[in-house]
Amino acid sequence: MTSGVALGAAFPLLSLQDIAQAAIDRPLPANTPILVAITLYGGNDGLNTLIPYTDSLYFSSRPDISYPAEKLLQLDSSLALNPSMTGIKSLWDEKKVAIIRGVGYPKPDRSHFSSMAKWQTGNPLTHVSTGWLGRWIDTQATDPMLAISLGSVLPPLLAGAKKSGSALPLGGLVIPTGQLAADCAKLSTVSSSDSKLMAMAANTMKNLFNISDSISPILKKNVPGSSVELPTINGGNAGGDTNLSQQLDIVAKLIDAGAPTRVWSVSLGGFDTHANEANAQAALLGVVSDSVSRFMTQLKSTSRSRDVVVMIYSEFGRRVVGNASQGTDHGTSGPMFIIGDNIKGGFYGDQPSLSKLVDGDLAVTTDFRSVYATILEKVLKAPPERILNGWKKKVPFYKAV
Amino acid sequence: MDANRLATARLFQRFGFGPRPGEFSAALNSGFTNTRTNLLTPPSFDYGAQRVPEPAVTDLGRRPEPNDPLNPIFSANMREQNKALAVWWLDRMALSDHALTERMTWFWHGHWATAIDKLNYALPMYVQNQTLRKHALGNFREMSLAMVKDGALQFWLDGQENTSRAPNENLARELMELFILGVNRYTEDDVKELARALTGYQVVRSSGAVTFNFRRHDPNLKTVLGKTTPFDADTATNYLVDQSNCQLFISERLWYRFISSQEALPKSSPVYASFSQRSIASTVSALSDFDVLSNSKYSIVKSPVEWFIASCRALSITPSQLNNRNQLLNFLTKLAQVPFSPPSVGGWPTDEAWLSSASAQFRFSFATWLIKQGDTSPIANLPRNQRVDAIADWLGIAEVSDRTKFAMQDAAADPRRLTLLALCSPEFIVSA
Repeated sequence: MTSGVALGAAFPLLSLQDIAQAAIDRPLPANTPILVAITLYGGNDGLNTLIPYTDSLYFSSRPDISYPAEKLLQLDSSLALNPSMTGIKSLWDEKKVAIIRGVGYPKPDRSHFSSMAKWQTGNPLTHVSTGWLGRWIDTQATDPMLAISLGSVLPPLLAGAKKSGSALPLGGLVIPTGQLAADCAKLSTVSSSDSKLMAMAANTMKNLFNISDSISPILKKNVPGSSVELPTINGGNAGGDTNLSQQLDIVAKLIDAGAPTRVWSVSLGGFDTHANEANAQAALLGVVSDSVSRFMTQLKSTSRSRDVVVMIYSEFGRRVVGNASQGTDHGTSGPMFIIGDNIKGGFYGDQPSLSKLVDGDLAVTTDFRSVYATILEKVLKAPPERILNGWKKKVPFYKAV
Repeated sequence: MDANRLATARLFQRFGFGPRPGEFSAALNSGFTNTRTNLLTPPSFDYGAQRVPEPAVTDLGRRPEPNDPLNPIFSANMREQNKALAVWWLDRMALSDHALTERMTWFWHGHWATAIDKLNYALPMYVQNQTLRKHALGNFREMSLAMVKDGALQFWLDGQENTSRAPNENLARELMELFILGVNRYTEDDVKELARALTGYQVVRSSGAVTFNFRRHDPNLKTVLGKTTPFDADTATNYLVDQSNCQLFISERLWYRFISSQEALPKSSPVYASFSQRSIASTVSALSDFDVLSNSKYSIVKSPVEWFIASCRALSITPSQLNNRNQLLNFLTKLAQVPFSPPSVGGWPTDEAWLSSASAQFRFSFATWLIKQGDTSPIANLPRNQRVDAIADWLGIAEVSDRTKFAMQDAAADPRRLTLLALCSPEFIVSA
């Protein structure tokens, strides 16, 4: 196992210009649902995200890293959000947040890479090389704009058997012009003597040109807000990006412009909080909450506001009992958040009981495939059984349209 | 394709960082066997490496309090040392006569992937780098015993927080999954038990100094992979390295990085047996066999650092002399590979991950910037009509396609433009 990078299929890398041009040439039809998947790398501690604040076992299991009840953002008489999640709390109050409790899969795997592979492939039983969204991409007409991941490498999530999503690296690119453009064009034709990888190298040079003046207004348009600086803290060794709000700013801008993209993938790393967890995780959850709430606010001024569904997940939760380093080790299930105007806000699935642990870990009460099946059916309009190996269960968090 | 050219080009590309001007033609003249011996045998004294002064990396001590006026100076020193360390290693890669030592150190850095981002101090990373270099071609057992007590690795994987009262599993898990055995070759209980065996180490973050504190160690019996004994870090590491899965895993990791990440190591390959005594040099020798290196199936994409160093060696560039250091590190960041900053404990990706329109664009800007500061005389000194044909031997490319020759013909009058096309050609980006 290497890091969280799709292996096998080649994937195109896009420039902002490519997507902006596509937004002009062939904008996404109005009222098409759009999925924004947010991956939290490192294993987010679900028990300090959605907190059973009236359960004395919560406080006695992790005295060093539990939050005092009065600081928490109460959602009902037993559960509350981490104090840093004020943005998501406001969305919850507007009934736009579904929280699915105790999400996981059978036989939990505590390796970052294996567990993330199970979540991203959507197959916890056998190792497959395609992502669940990649298999959805396989069922669609070929379009490099269909599913886009922000960052310079493609997560397995978007790798299909025949096709894959594209990646959009952050940071400005300079498009070659003049003689260099002509030279690149010559180098980018595939030669009969090329190996597979050389042909791929040639192909990736093809999209370097073709930029029209009409797209610069889209690229220059402002996105409100400022960059969020993350502290350099523990938990940073299990992959993921650091600039979630910047990623979501770009997604908001491109959705607004009409990009023909139905799936966006963004990520935040740093959740591997083996030590000194409380401050580190609160800072990260604050970034998630602030970024998502800013993103939803940005969308309000666009015509796509009702179409967007945000899904937040991590590869596992963490142990119930804290370790001696004021942190927690790798655990099992955790809550998933689904957010959007078309979402029926509220709780789904059972809260894993702290008095009925499995090997010292939280039980899994909802299989992630039930969540994926609902998203495939309602958001991506595809039959879930084919993509999820016959899985039939769903979670009713989507409003009937 | 000429099998001898292909195998010789791969020797330079895979077991070094590419030839310096003139080296590839000389190697073709002396033959594959001599070249292989030459590249694989460390010289008694590496004059090239000796030209690189050790980095100015010191123990900076604890960070001052946030409101202390010395805090900004401390931060500046820290940043300076971190950059100096990265550029120091790039210099060694570019200037060493025995490139294999640096190449192996580079491989092991990606294997025991530790990132400076959590630690923030350069000194422990420098110490780790010395350890990896010392054992780079030695015995994997010695390397593992040294690494399990390496300060940077211990800190990165929370080993300093792992105590008998509350074991922290991070290091134990990765030791089995990513460093010695491979994923799923152990149970969750093995992870928990191994974590207990590894308890008791403490790290001084600023220096990487590791001490053993018996009071934090769990001296009781542990059961790891079926064996019950009061394991400690040494006995547990030795026991893991004894496992046949260690032989499988490390053989396959070396194959994956040096020969092919697309084609699996054949089950009947002598590469497995070459690692039976855990000798890294023996396995490198088995991997560099002519039959393996002349097999056209096994192409591999140069990672950004490998591509950059190959360019430096061809252009006689010393990375630290480039104007300027920040710009250099910025280019490497854009291409997503900076020494001492792997993206995760799983190390860097391979092949396709480095091929993208975006990275192609960054590569063009990077190469343009490099060529302006490099020496193109190996082709500039030739008559115009001989330049295109001289490119392959200069850069150690097995075969230049008609496509690339066609693109280069037009540029033959301008050595810099010609070099730019060569460095960005599929034949140079990919080790055929």
